[in-house]
This record gives sequence, C-alpha cells and structure tokens, in this order.
Amino acid sequence: MIAPTTASSATHAAPAPSPLLQLDQIGRRRAGRVAVSGLSLSLQSGQVLGLLGVNGAGKSTTLSMIAGALAPDQGTIRLNGVDFVEHPELARQLLGWLPERAPQWPELTVREHLLTHGRLRGMPGATARSAAAAALERFELAPLARRLAGVLSQGQRQRLGLACALLHRPALLVLDEPANALDPVQVAALRRILREEAANGTAVILSTHVLAEVTAVCDRVAILHEGSLRHDGPLTADLERRFFDIAMNDARGKTAA
Amino acid sequence: MTALAITRLELRRLFVRPLGWILGALTLAELAWRFVLLLGSFLASQIKLAALPGGPGYTDIVAIPTLSSMLTGSMLPFGVAELALLIVPLLTMSAIAGERSNGTLPLLFAAGLPASRIVLGKYLALLIWLLLWLLLALAMQLSLAGTTHLDWGKLAAAVLGLALALAALTAVGLACSTFAPHPAIAATTSLLLGLALWIVNLGARLAGIDNGLFNWLAMSTHLENLLRGLVSTADVLWFVLLIAVSLSLATRRLAAEREHN
Repeated sequence: MIAPTTASSATHAAPAPSPLLQLDQIGRRRAGRVAVSGLSLSLQSGQVLGLLGVNGAGKSTTLSMIAGALAPDQGTIRLNGVDFVEHPELARQLLGWLPERAPQWPELTVREHLLTHGRLRGMPGATARSAAAAALERFELAPLARRLAGVLSQGQRQRLGLACALLHRPALLVLDEPANALDPVQVAALRRILREEAANGTAVILSTHVLAEVTAVCDRVAILHEGSLRHDGPLTADLERRFFDIAMNDARGKTAA
Repeated sequence: MTALAITRLELRRLFVRPLGWILGALTLAELAWRFVLLLGSFLASQIKLAALPGGPGYTDIVAIPTLSSMLTGSMLPFGVAELALLIVPLLTMSAIAGERSNGTLPLLFAAGLPASRIVLGKYLALLIWLLLWLLLALAMQLSLAGTTHLDWGKLAAAVLGLALALAALTAVGLACSTFAPHPAIAATTSLLLGLALWIVNLGARLAGIDNGLFNWLAMSTHLENLLRGLVSTADVLWFVLLIAVSLSLATRRLAAEREHN
C-alpha cells in the first residue's frame, strides 16, 4: 500500500526530508533520436524549479516522463521514494500536469472537464463537484462553466488546464509552458497562484523558454540543452548570461566543427 | 472506479458529437422502412400462410428479417446486423485514435490509468450506445407483440446473436482505433476486417475452397445459427474469443504506446 503524502505533511517532515521527486539518470529516445539523456535532479516540497531550454532541448519529454505520460527508456523516477514507473497510480494522488498547449476534449464543457479530471484522479462524486466549483471561482472560469472546451480561446484553455491540474491538490505540479497565450493580467494571476501553491508546500516544475517567467516565480533553475542537464542551481542574477552561454557556445561549437 | 470515469467521458463524447445521432437516425429510419415493407408482405400473404400447418409466422417473416437479411434476403438489404458492419467502424474510430490526434491520450496516461482500464472504459461506453440502438430497433418488432403471436425464444436467440455480433465488431473497431494513427484509417481498417470476418467463407467458396476452417472463421456462420434460434456454446464462445483477442491486442498496443512512443 502506498500512502500518499499531502503537501502539509511533507512540509512538517523531519529536518532532512527525502526529496519529493528524484530523477536518477533518466533517458528517453523519441522519433529515433535521443531526446533526453542521463538526467538527474531532485525536488523538495515547496520548491519552484524552472526548467529552461531552447526549443527541442528535451523539456517537454522530461515533463511528460515526470507526469507519467511517457515511460523513461532508462533510469528511475522516484516520487516520495517510490518508483513511479512501477507504480503509475501514484500520479492519481500526487501529480498535477498541464501539458503544452493544454489539450482538452472539445465535446466537454468547462465544468465537465473539471469533473472528469476529478473522477480520473479517483475523487468521489461530491468531492469532485465541490472541488470543481472552487476551481471555477479561483480561476475565474465560472462564467464559462457551461461552454464547450472546443470553443474556448487558447488563454481560456490554458486556465482550464491549470485548474484541472490543481483540482486534486497535488503535491507536485508539472507545468509545460503555462504562460502560453495568457495576457499580462492572466500571467500576473498565474504567478500569484504558483507562489500560493509553493507557500502551501506544493513542489512546482515549470518549463519555459521565457527567462522573465523563471525569474518571477522560481527559486531554482535547471537548464537543459540537447537532452542533457547543463546547469542546476538556485536563481542568480547571472541567469541570462549563463543561459545564453550554454545555448550559444554550443551553437558556436557546432559551427566551428 | 476509474474505468467508469472513462466510460462516462466516452459516452459524453458520443452523445455530444452529431455523428452518433445522424447514424442512429438514418439507420433507424431505414430499419423502420424495412419493417413496414416486411409487415406489408406478411399481411398480404397471411391467409396463405395460415393454411400451412406449422408455417412461418410474424417472427420468421417480420421480426427476425428486420434484424438481418441473412436468412431470407429482402427488398432492402440492410438489417440491424448488416448496418452494424457500417456504423460500428464509424463509432469506434475516434475512441483512441481521436484521443491521440486530439492530444488528450497523454492526459489519461498521466492519470495513472493502466491501459486495460482505458480500453475497458471505452469499450463499455461504445457497447452501451450500440445496445441502446439495438433496443430502439427491437422496439418496432415488440410494438406488435400484444397483437400477434411472437416466438419469444427464437427472438431472444436472435437478439443474443446480434448483441454478440455488435460486441465483437466493437472490440475489433476499438482495436483498430488503438493501432491506427488517425480515425479515418481506423474506420477503414475496421470496416474491411468486419467485412472479411463476415464473408470469409463466401470468398473461399467462390475461390473453390469449401472447408470447415473458413466456415468456422466466418462470423455469419455463428450468427446464422443464433438467428435461426439455435443457441450453442460453440457459437457463443467464438464471439467471446474474438472479443477477448481484440481487447487484449488493444490493451497491449496502448501499453506499448506509453512505453515506446
């Protein structure tokens, strides 16, 4: 029996808590090429990690593996100390995921989406209904509750995706380009929500190629380049220089070769 | 239970999309027309039939032929069984292939659902839709149950046969949807496989081969017995076997997709 760890219990754990998420040398090939290779990192409850990288760096593949949508070819992913690949059902309680472009079922209304996500995560009917009602309010989706997801704007879809990811109060939130298509007001609201979640003990991983997004909400940064981890450390003032060094030096190296 | 959450999701998708309603309306209209034509011919020949001792009645001339033209042939070629060959591929094509092209399949994987529950949930939803459709088609024959003599045993065997045929075709369609990258390819493959299963013995006979294997492989062989009112374990097992093989293949393919795609 795997006991789920709630955000609050993780916050009040022993002085040196084991990491909520532990990636150990994970790798994955996609479409015949190495998308991610030998990636190791860990994350504690309440931390906000920004996963930076240029397009094609392997961010989405990494997040898909962490979210349980893809199995790694090599390495292990441990969630709360338990092998996540062996126990994918852990995702039901511990993980919330917003994939890139926030895919949704066009035939479902906004409210039905939230209820469906609740049921898929094993929430009882009454709990799912009250969680859906709270999410509609929190993400300002109440006026759209009866609208079909197929007719929502990309910004509205993004908000709905985030509401679905947070519906069951996960201990780990995995967000792939969450600020895509959001207007500046919505971006500010997103940042506020992420800070609130982190303050409540939720660990957050967000991938982006927008540096400002990272500096606004993250306390730690990992830079991926061509599928491997090139930097992992706290947020510092020289992030931009470091990011361009990794991306541009590599490009120069290739040109020289 | 999360398989039921998938069933609810799939049912909602089926009922919101116009395709299901259009298919339902068109096929039921065709069946109603077929029913009226068969009923007309039955009424016209009723006196002649009454003179025959143990001659065919309403069940043989109207009720069963409305379900399938396999035994009698008809002015309109499509009974429930023949229509099922056409509509099941269209209904099942989007079950998994649609999720894949929509980008929502990873959401189901990320919810920690094993492939078997995704397949089972989708299968149940499709089956519910098709059994409702069968029930509506049956309502026509049953509407005259109070005024005519209905052979309940024979009708029940025929309905069992059709329900099994629908369940088997749905499982094949779902497997095709799991393997195909796009819904249209899934529908085409499913239609071709359904037709092949239906007439494999006929094709073999035309090629000069008439042996037990081809007859056993053909769905029509097993359905024909049930439509005649003959329920045998061997026929029922044939359908159960086809369902089990198709759903297993679908589950394995879906599990492999998460592992290797």
